[in-house]
Amino acid sequence: MLSSLSQQASFSPLLANVHSYASGLFGESSTLAFLTNSVLVALVVMSIVLWFSRKATKNMTLVPHKAQNFLEFIVEFLYNQVVGIVGEKQAKLAFPLLGTLFIYILVSNWFGLFPGVGTIGWGESTGFLSVKAAHDPLLRPPTADLNATIGLAVSAFLVWLFLTIKEIGIWGFVVHTFGPKGGLKGVMGMVVAAVFLFVGVIEVVSIIIRPVTLSIRLFGNIFAGENVIHTMSDLMAGQGAIGSFLGSVVLPLPFYFMELLVGLLQAIVFTLLCAVYIQLSTTHDDHGHEEAHH
Amino acid sequence: MPTIIAAGKVDAIVEKFGLAWPKFFAQVIIFWVVFTILKKYAFGPILGMLEQRRQRIADGEAKLEKIAKDAAEAKQNAQALLDKAEADAARLVKEADEAAKAIQERRQQEAVSSANTIIAKAREAAQLEQEQLMSQLKREFGRMVSDATSRVTGKVLNTDDQTRINQETAAQVSA
Repeated sequence: MLSSLSQQASFSPLLANVHSYASGLFGESSTLAFLTNSVLVALVVMSIVLWFSRKATKNMTLVPHKAQNFLEFIVEFLYNQVVGIVGEKQAKLAFPLLGTLFIYILVSNWFGLFPGVGTIGWGESTGFLSVKAAHDPLLRPPTADLNATIGLAVSAFLVWLFLTIKEIGIWGFVVHTFGPKGGLKGVMGMVVAAVFLFVGVIEVVSIIIRPVTLSIRLFGNIFAGENVIHTMSDLMAGQGAIGSFLGSVVLPLPFYFMELLVGLLQAIVFTLLCAVYIQLSTTHDDHGHEEAHH
Repeated sequence: MPTIIAAGKVDAIVEKFGLAWPKFFAQVIIFWVVFTILKKYAFGPILGMLEQRRQRIADGEAKLEKIAKDAAEAKQNAQALLDKAEADAARLVKEADEAAKAIQERRQQEAVSSANTIIAKAREAAQLEQEQLMSQLKREFGRMVSDATSRVTGKVLNTDDQTRINQETAAQVSA
């Protein structure tokens, strides 16, 4: 009964056919196979970010011009958030990574909402410059490509590792992860040490999983957003020219606002989680050490 | 067997999501380019500018505080000067008042003294004039008595007679 209901209620035919992978612009056998539609958008996003940062930081004055004022607002807001999480000392080192992550992810996420992204491309031709559906779109947001999100997560992981080792050293990291806390001695101390050793193993597993969770969370949200907007746009595809046009304009509109929010939220989540990871591993166990010395 | 299954699943995931090292590295390189350039040319100058502005605001606040303190001190000094000026003015007015009273009293005394002198002089002059008139009157009476006596008696009076008549007449007039 449940099975048949589930089959009847299946929405899979309703979903738009958005690929879960980025399409290559030159074919898989080409030497430029790495140049996918998401890499192309990543280059565009990079250009936008660098162009604006150049515009904002050119001829800087104490009384800021508009672009400078806007970038200062973003940087100051982000820096204060980072200081609140990792502290003043680590913020100076970690902020460039975290700030770049936030800005790059946010611009990438929102870039996917521009008209034409995911809808202009190659597909079954229905006339001059017209296709039934863009199976291989020209543009795809980088954060809807798992290669990019894994790349971001691995980059963040490498910087996290560098900051952690720089702050507490390799041995400090081992002690921080596996070392017993509480300063107990004797039999109880050995029991606690065994427990903390086990906890340390779990901690190592969780550290290894972090790039996976970070990348899949970001990819999943943005890819899902792409699917939702495409699906809503195509919902009235067979209802005549006017119905199809109105449906493709009106129906996805509320979801654009939702995706604006999701894009911002995912940029914040990714950045804040990285900040929290840095804070957790660079905090000194002074209290525990003092107790251990006693 | 489980390893083969896991490997098969990984391959399926890699294929489904189009994972490939060149695409991965392309994305990583793009991100690191953005990261490096923003770190050097955007975040550094922006944070520097924010720090510079924060310092300037702190300096401004410190200056404002100093100005407020100086203003309070200046107000206090001005009040002290005003109080001193008021006290000096009051003292000067009092001194001037006392001086004026002293001068008035002295002038009054001088006026009284001058009036007394004038009265005394007038009195002396009147006395002198009275005496002169009296002397003249005596002489006139003496002469008239001598004339009358000589006419009555028909005798020419000599000097002794005249002197004696004059003295008697003067003595009677004085009485």
